[in-house]
Amino acid sequence: MTAAIETHDLTRSFPSGVALDGLTLSVQPGEVLALLGPNGAGKTTTVRLLNGILTPDRGRSSVLGFDPAVDGDAVRRVTGVLTEHAGLDERLTARENLELTARMRGLDRVWAARRTMDLLERFGMADRADVAVQGTSTGQRKRLALARALLHDPEVLFLDEPTSGLDPAATRDVIDLIGALATEHGRTIVLATHFLGEAGRLADRMAVLHHGVLHAFGRPEEIAAEMWNGIDAEIDLGSPIDTAARKALEQLACVHGVVPLPNGALVRLERRDDLPVVVRLLVERGLAVYGASARPPSLEDIYFAVEARIAEREGRDIARTTAGLISGAVGGGP
Amino acid sequence: MTAPAHAPRSWPVIRAVIAKDLIAVRRSKAVVIPMLAVPTLLMVVLPLFVGLAARASSNPDVGRILSSMPGDLARPILDLPQHEQLIVLVNGYLLAPLFLIVPLMVSAVLAADAFAGEKERKTLESLLHLPIAERDLFMAKLLTAFIPAIAVSWIGFLCFCVVANGVAWPVLHRIFVPTQLWLVMILWIGPAVATLGLAVMVRVSARARTSQEANQLGGAVILPLIFLSVGQSSGVLLAPLPVAIAIGALIWVIAIILVRGGAKRFTRDQLAARV
Repeated sequence: MTAAIETHDLTRSFPSGVALDGLTLSVQPGEVLALLGPNGAGKTTTVRLLNGILTPDRGRSSVLGFDPAVDGDAVRRVTGVLTEHAGLDERLTARENLELTARMRGLDRVWAARRTMDLLERFGMADRADVAVQGTSTGQRKRLALARALLHDPEVLFLDEPTSGLDPAATRDVIDLIGALATEHGRTIVLATHFLGEAGRLADRMAVLHHGVLHAFGRPEEIAAEMWNGIDAEIDLGSPIDTAARKALEQLACVHGVVPLPNGALVRLERRDDLPVVVRLLVERGLAVYGASARPPSLEDIYFAVEARIAEREGRDIARTTAGLISGAVGGGP
Repeated sequence: MTAPAHAPRSWPVIRAVIAKDLIAVRRSKAVVIPMLAVPTLLMVVLPLFVGLAARASSNPDVGRILSSMPGDLARPILDLPQHEQLIVLVNGYLLAPLFLIVPLMVSAVLAADAFAGEKERKTLESLLHLPIAERDLFMAKLLTAFIPAIAVSWIGFLCFCVVANGVAWPVLHRIFVPTQLWLVMILWIGPAVATLGLAVMVRVSARARTSQEANQLGGAVILPLIFLSVGQSSGVLLAPLPVAIAIGALIWVIAIILVRGGAKRFTRDQLAARV
């Protein structure tokens, strides 16, 4: 399958330093890619390069077969962008912002008016259509900006920090909208964010950037397999596992490590199928097993593990995270 | 990244950008009030009061002022009856420099808003993400400043003509403005000065972070130089017609060179790098 987005050695510097350094990745059609990383990681620069508003110093990229550095307008005709700041003119009404953007995209005036109303209704903004944007909430502005990005029904969406500045309810609202956009029409979405919750809910693949360098790229489970040997399982014993049972578990070839928990143990297994073996051993030793479940690492676990690896390489101290604790305790971490 | 030079301009897109900017400007009191107040003061209130004052004085001697003018420049006024000389001198000639301040000021204020204002309001990046050719965007931004500047100065000049002729009617019993030279000044030199002002301010505002910063930079350093040059324009009204046209042509050439230079530097990359 031809990739919707491809980059090879994409690099861009500013007088303040290198913003993106040799980015190579690909995004398949219909896929949601989460670009993760702290502020200054290079996420926004990546979006700007992919949409052709910045030119690379080195490397190349393609979006739906167009080179953004050569044919930026062709790229921008098939992409929609939600910038970190909604970028709406506060002096205009919601309707004017959308209609005029549609016309600036070269869309017919009548069509622009109809599409604007459709989107305002869909995004629950029809009753605010003729209110100046300065009178709307941050959440409403984000919804409006998202509607604006969809005016021309783009095949690719770039969403740069779509939930920044939103309260929890508005965040859930926007994430639900993005989720719907991702599943309909098989849209390709690049989601640049440092909020892991939204990425975890939406992303098929993730790319972790730090200081402009790509440190991890792939499906969360692929990265997890790279980061950790095996899978974690939580065993509920009603109380912490005793030393004898712990040692017995550690004797099993399929167990890579055991961490006592207040209500049992966290066990690192070779495979998910090894869980019944562990449960059987504990039952045979007379322990009551109230529950046992394999717990694949969350995107959050993986992200912090990657961050920990980066910090380790850079010789930095970082706060130990859940993933860091687990990987460190069972010795399977990088 | 840019449209090829031979690609046709997309006028519907340019019109949409202009429409967006003008609707927004119309709703911005901080921009509209000075844009209307200054022309009203210069083109209506001032000629009215000066005209009334000149009419009130009986047979004023303007010989001293006229004698300071070089050679034949004062001849058209000296040839008039003495009681007509003051009102024609003041409303017909001495207010002339103020008329060029209007297109200059309006174009400079709007041009500052065009780019630095977009940055300030954090709307520039979303504009750059639209499929608008750079040269179309640049043209739209120029016209956003140019069209209102010319509209305000021409409408203001019509008002001036009504006021100046009205107030002078009891003395002159004839219409004395516009003369051919006035028309050259308003239709030819005024637009050139507006273009010069916006060419300077577009360059300044593309670098500034806020429209206030752009106005300060443009207002403090560059525009005073233009004002100084414009201040000499009353001489244009006394010069022969071909000379006035040539002066206008010179301003146009300078303005076009500056605009072209600005267009070359106007790239998405440069703007996006400063967002």
